Parts: sequence; structure tokens; C-alpha cells
Amino acid sequence: MLELRNIEKYYNPGTINEMCLFDKFNLSVKEGEFLTVVGSNGSGKTSMLNIICGTIPFEGGQIIINGKDISKSPEYKRNKIIGRVFQNPAMGTSPGMTILENMSLADNKGKFFGLSKGVNKERISYYKEELSTLGLGLEDKLETKVEHLSGGQRQAMALLMATMTPIDFLILDEHTAALDPKTADIIMHLTDKIVKEKNLTTIMVTHNLRYATDYGSRIIMMHEGKIVLDKAEDDKINQNIEDLLVKFNEISIECGN
Amino acid sequence: MKKKTVATFLVVAALVGSMVGCAKTEGKDANKESYTIGIAQFAEHASLDNCREGFIEGLKSEGIEEGKNLKIEYKNAAADAATNAQISDSLASGKNDLICAIATPTAQSTFNAAIDSDTPVIYTAVTDPIAAELADKEGNPVGEVTGTSDKLPIEAQLKMIREIMPEAKKIGIMYTTSEANSVSAIKEYKKLAPKYDFEIKEAGITNTSEIPMALQTLLESSDCLTNLTDNTVVSSLPTILDKANEKKIPVFGSEVEQIKMGCLAAEGIDYIALGKQTGQMAAKVLKGETKASEMPYETITEPGFYVNLKVAEDFGITISDELKNTAVESFTEVTAN
Amino acid sequence: MSFLIMVLEQGLIYGIMALGVYITYKILDFPDLTVDGCFPLGAAVTAALITKGMNPYLTLPISFLVGMIAGTLTGLIHVKAKVRDLLSGIIMMTALWSINLFIAGTSNVPLFSKDSIFKNSVMDQVFAGGLKRYRTLIIVAIIAIIAKVLLDLYLKTKSGFLLRAVGDNDTLVKSLAKDDGNVKILGLAIANGLVALSGCLFAQEERVFEISSGTGAIVIGIASVIIGTSLMKKFHFLGTTLAVLIGSIFYKACVAVATNWAPPWAVKGTTAVIFLIILIVAESGKAKVKKHAGA
Repeated sequence: MLELRNIEKYYNPGTINEMCLFDKFNLSVKEGEFLTVVGSNGSGKTSMLNIICGTIPFEGGQIIINGKDISKSPEYKRNKIIGRVFQNPAMGTSPGMTILENMSLADNKGKFFGLSKGVNKERISYYKEELSTLGLGLEDKLETKVEHLSGGQRQAMALLMATMTPIDFLILDEHTAALDPKTADIIMHLTDKIVKEKNLTTIMVTHNLRYATDYGSRIIMMHEGKIVLDKAEDDKINQNIEDLLVKFNEISIECGN
Repeated sequence: MKKKTVATFLVVAALVGSMVGCAKTEGKDANKESYTIGIAQFAEHASLDNCREGFIEGLKSEGIEEGKNLKIEYKNAAADAATNAQISDSLASGKNDLICAIATPTAQSTFNAAIDSDTPVIYTAVTDPIAAELADKEGNPVGEVTGTSDKLPIEAQLKMIREIMPEAKKIGIMYTTSEANSVSAIKEYKKLAPKYDFEIKEAGITNTSEIPMALQTLLESSDCLTNLTDNTVVSSLPTILDKANEKKIPVFGSEVEQIKMGCLAAEGIDYIALGKQTGQMAAKVLKGETKASEMPYETITEPGFYVNLKVAEDFGITISDELKNTAVESFTEVTAN
Repeated sequence: MSFLIMVLEQGLIYGIMALGVYITYKILDFPDLTVDGCFPLGAAVTAALITKGMNPYLTLPISFLVGMIAGTLTGLIHVKAKVRDLLSGIIMMTALWSINLFIAGTSNVPLFSKDSIFKNSVMDQVFAGGLKRYRTLIIVAIIAIIAKVLLDLYLKTKSGFLLRAVGDNDTLVKSLAKDDGNVKILGLAIANGLVALSGCLFAQEERVFEISSGTGAIVIGIASVIIGTSLMKKFHFLGTTLAVLIGSIFYKACVAVATNWAPPWAVKGTTAVIFLIILIVAESGKAKVKKHAGA
């Protein structure tokens, strides 16, 4: 259970360029929910994710996870229970390290990084198994550096690495936006599979309205720091892309786009 | 393909180079008519260059002349510690009959490099050979190493400044904190200054870029400046003189070159003479008359008084005839470096 | 032969420093100017301890630890006080000048009359006769190889993985629920430990501490790392750390060839030209491989 309570976020506070993004923003995400978030540029989608993860500071309000206020804890500590996949495939992996080394890093998340061997040989078969579920043949390239992989392959690995250890939340930040349509479909399909298998509470920001309606159990649309549409499971089934587009166009016209 | 050739050439060249080095070693002979020496100099600057010139002259006066019966391999470390170490190693590898090391860091590193090969090291421009552990507490050599010290005649300098500027109270001195010679000279200045009723204003710098600010402070607080033989400061002397002249603060020098460049006066060292003295010591060692380990290091026998009358005139300072007559050399013009 | 020994000795001593620079410059992507102060720091600590009569072998680990402290401080300035990377190093380098003077007592401390790790009664017996001229080289090589192997092993541990990841992508380290700042500090500490160790060896080999001995050290370090990694592109069997050591030897060979052949005024220029040729030759090899791959 994740709750954002009365979040206030200003950009450039105290300067002439001060801009209020969130004024008493509230949102709660139930356990097991797959929330998709759509909205125009500047609507606050990514800022919201950044606030949840602790990447950017905010001025007021609370973030509560499972009844605990985590507003004050630094980004890296929150990541113990959060897995995140970014828009840029390079953000989720270490490009200069091999696939095997990257998998080993992810496998050790939340544990102590001491002077024991970086790669646990006994886990290699498990990594291969996990990689083979991606269907990209990565299980045969364990010694290849991740920088030599394509964007789609990297993003698939990033997804796998983010969900390898038990986490409470999966945060997907436009994670298919930088990929070509076909690869994006593959990654989205994989995402759905992993989320269902591990029963992860997920928040996905996307610009792809089809993904927003096809996947997930609840959809919200954001505009200028506010939620302008919130459809849960039952409504969502009847919500088709056309309806969403109509709403989307409404807010875009308001913006003068 | 071409690039490969270049690479191959380089490798071959490096190998040949090292072999040439070895070949020379084998030609070493104790009783011979001609000599090979190495000269290692710490940095490129006028005083040290004079030492080198004087050294070669000193050898010549003893009948050892470059081009006739002397081959000189001259290396300069450009004030870089790593290069300095490499030069010392390369000169001390056995091909030379003797190494002349100019300035303290070079003397130390050459001595260290030459210990194993028993190549004698003759140094010059080392202010305090005892502190540098090139000589023991009694001033005797600690190995096949000896030479000349350019220790400043500080007391004579203070006395001379008092005579020329009877009203002066504060002497400003700029020095580099990394130069051991300067640090020990400052200590002695501070110790002796009260005797002549002076107060020393010091400004420590670490490199050339800090000179303008330090100079400003000194010029505000001093009646005159005096130089040490500080390498960094001396290489920026023209700038220092320019700023000091603007403020009408006379600058005293520490050796003859500085007087030529526009310092008022100095009880100082003539580095050419120091070099000559060193060269003569080296000649004795080369000829086998004595060993370096049997010759204590020497200092310049008498400090010389040098004065630039043009500068004195510009400042409206009269130098008494009595003092003028003691001058080893007096100059009537300022020569740009 | 003596030319070669000299190049190897100097190359390996500075090679240990280059290993440190490899950690900061290549792995952490942190241009760490602390090196210019940390190299003489190792030398100053060594000179002070040896003068006080300490066993010279103990100065090796102590220099390493003191270097680690310097690196940690640079890291703290960067991570906790949020000072830019380049500036943090400059601040530390500047402060170290005074610290080094304070530790050593003066700007030049000769150690000629003292035992060193190279010259003491035990080593004099071990390296008697023909071995004598290789004494320094052998001891330096042993220490350099130990440093290299330990660094290799460390980079394969979990902690080492984290260090490699943080320079590549610090977001990933945060994602792994680790404080990327602490990992950077650790990296800087290890790197500067190696740099100080190198300074310790230099002081004992030269048998003198000189305050200005670190000036330009970072340039030597970065040049060695670049030569080494370029060479590695051509000779893949070299591990990175071995390539860095070889890079340092190459760098010293460039300088030695230049000082041996060029007239004094042209030494730096000649060094620059040789350096450039090595890089062009190494890079050209890479281009060829690409062309073949394309065809």
C-alpha cells in the first residue's frame, strides 16, 4: 500500500521562476494494483515517480508505504523495496560490465557487498534460466559486456534485474518510449508476464495509450499536477482508447497545443 | 602497413638506444687521455646556467677541454622530480667518468643513483650539503661525492643593506616553501636580522602564479626587498623589479646576474666563479690526483660586492665612495634578461 | 641494459600510482587531482617514519592507509559537501602541500644514511654479487605485482563490482539500495592508497623526500592509463591492470628516450611526439579491426 498525502512540489522555489506543480496532491495505490499513468508533457507524471523514489525533494506532504512514512529516507534506502526501470535503457544496467556481472549485482540487491566473490558460480544456472525467459538468447552471452547489447536487450535486462529480488513496488518510467514499436511490444509483454508472475504492485507511466488501456488494473490521467481521470478495474474494461483520446484532446486544447 | 613500420622503427630505435648505452660502458678505462662526463641540471635558469658554464671553464683551465679531450652529456630536468630521477639513473649507469650535479634535488638524486656504480659526483649550487646529507656533520663527504655550496653570505648582506639604507626597518623576502635552500636561508635571516636592527617580512609561495599577490603584500609592508637564490622567485625577477620600481622599493640581489638585471646591490655569489671552483675540483678527481671522498665540500671564499649605480641613481640613493671601491664589479646600466 | 632496468624501475614505481589513477579516472570517471598531493604524502610519511627509526617495510602499509585517508577526505568533500569532482581534488591537493610540509618537517628530507626496503642488511645479503643491479627492480616488481593482483581480486568481489558499477552508472548503484556516494568515497580511498604507496616507494628508491615530487603526477598517471588501455585494444590478452602497468613503463620509456637523445630544450617536445605516435599506432589497430568487421 502506497500513499501520497498532500504532496506539495515547487520548482525553483523562492525565485521569480517559481512554479507550483503539486498542490496537495493525493494518490493511493493498493497492494497488487497495476496502475498506469498517462498525461501530457509537464503534467507531473515523472515528477510523481521521482518524488516516490526520492530522486527529487518536495516541499510538503508525506509518502507512506505500508503505514510507514518514508518521506525523509534517502533514495537508495527506498530502493530496498522499490524496483525501477527508466526510459533510457542505459540507466538500468552497468554497460562496462558483462551480463553475468550485471545479473550478479542485481541478485545481491539489499544484501551486503563485501569481499566475497562477485559472481556466485552456483547461481549461474539460475541466471541462465531467468535470461532464457526473455527469449532474446542472452543466456548464451554471459561474458558479453552490456554496452554491446541493443537498447531492447538492455531494457529487457534492466527489467529482469529490477525484479530479480523481492520488491514491494515496481516503477516503470516510460520504459518502452525509447524503443522501436516492435521491441516496445516485446518489452511490454515481458513486463506484464513478470508483474503477473511475481504479483508486483506496479506504477507505469506511459505515453502509449494502447498499453495504458491494454495492461494494468487501473488508469489515471494527469494534467498540470492534478488527476483528471481515475478509472479502476471495472470501468477500465469499458474504457477504450477513443474515450481516452477525447479526454486527452480536451486537456491538450486547454494547454493550447 | 606504414604505421606498423613506424611502430617497428620505434621499438628498434629504443633497443638500439639502450645498446648504445651499454657499448659506452664497456669502453671505460681508468688511465686515459680523454674523459666523458655527465652534467645534470635541475632547471633552466640563469644562475644554474652560469654554474654550468663556469664548471666547463674550470675544467678547461686545468687542461680538460670540451671537444678535445672531454665529452659532455648535458641533461636538464626542467624542475620535474620524475625526470630528475630518470636523468640521474641514466647518467650514473657507468658510462661517465664523473657526474656534475647542479642544484640540491639533482645532487641528491645523482648521488643516490651513483652509489652502486662508484661514479664520483661533483655538485654545485647546493646551499647546505650537510642538511642534504651529502656531507656528514663535520663537512666530510659521505661517499664519492663532493662539490661547492652556494650558501649566501647573509650577515654581509644585512650589513651592506644597513649601510646603503640607514633608515630602513623592514626587509621583505619572498621564497618558495618547497625549496629547502630558501627555507634554511630564511631561518638564518630571521636569526641575524635583529643584530642589524631589521625586521624580516616573509612571504612563502608554492609556484609562480602566486607571486603577484605575495609581492603586493610585501611591497606594502617593507622598506626594501632582498632576494635569496630561490629558483622560482629568481626566474620571475623581471616582474618583481618592475612592480617594486613602481612603488619605489629597492630590491637587493643575491648574485651578480640579478644586479645586471636591475637589483640595487648584493653581497653575493658569482655563480660563474663558483662553477669554476667546482670545475677545478672535478679536474683533480678526473686526473686521479685525489678522490671525491677525500675532498670536503667548499664554499666561495669571499663574497663579492656588486652594485648597479644606474639603479642607485634612479632611486636617489648615494653609494659612498668607500663602499663603491670595495665592489668586485659595478654596473652602470640595466640589461634586460 | 641499465637503460632498460632504469625504465622498468621507474615505470613500475609510477605504475602503482597509475593503478590508482586507473580507479579514479577510468572506473569512477573522476578526474582526481588529489594525486599531485597524495604522491608526496606517501613520500613524506615514509621519510618522517624512517627518520624516526621505523622499519622501512612498515612504511608501505602505513603510507597506503594515510593515502586512503586523503582519498576519503576528497570523497567526503565531493559527496557530502557537494563540491564538484575536479574542485574537490584541487582543494585536497592544495591542503596536502601544507600537510606534507608539516609531516616531513621541511621541504627536503634526505634518507641517504637510513635503511630502506631496498637497502638494509638483509637485502644486502639476499642480493649479493650479480643480482645487486637488479635489486631495486626485483623488489619494485614484486610490490607492483602484489598491488596489481590484489586490485584484480578486489575488482572481482561484490564490493569491487559495486565500485565498477558506480562509475558506469551511479543510478544502478542506488537502485541496488546502496549509497553511491559511499562507494565513490571507497574508490577514492583505495586509489589514493595506491598513489601514496607509489610515493613511499619513490622516496625510498630516491632516498630523499622532495615536497615538489608530486607536481605533474596526475599527468603521468593519466598518460599511463591512456597508453595502457590503448595498447590493450591491440593486445586483448592483456588484463586492464597489467596494461596500465605496461602503459606506465611505456610512458617512462618515452621520457627516457627523449632525455637520452633530444637536446635539453627539446625533451618535452620529443616526449610529446613519441607519446602521440604510440597513441596513433595503437588507435590505428582498432580502426583496422573495425574495417574488417564491416567487410
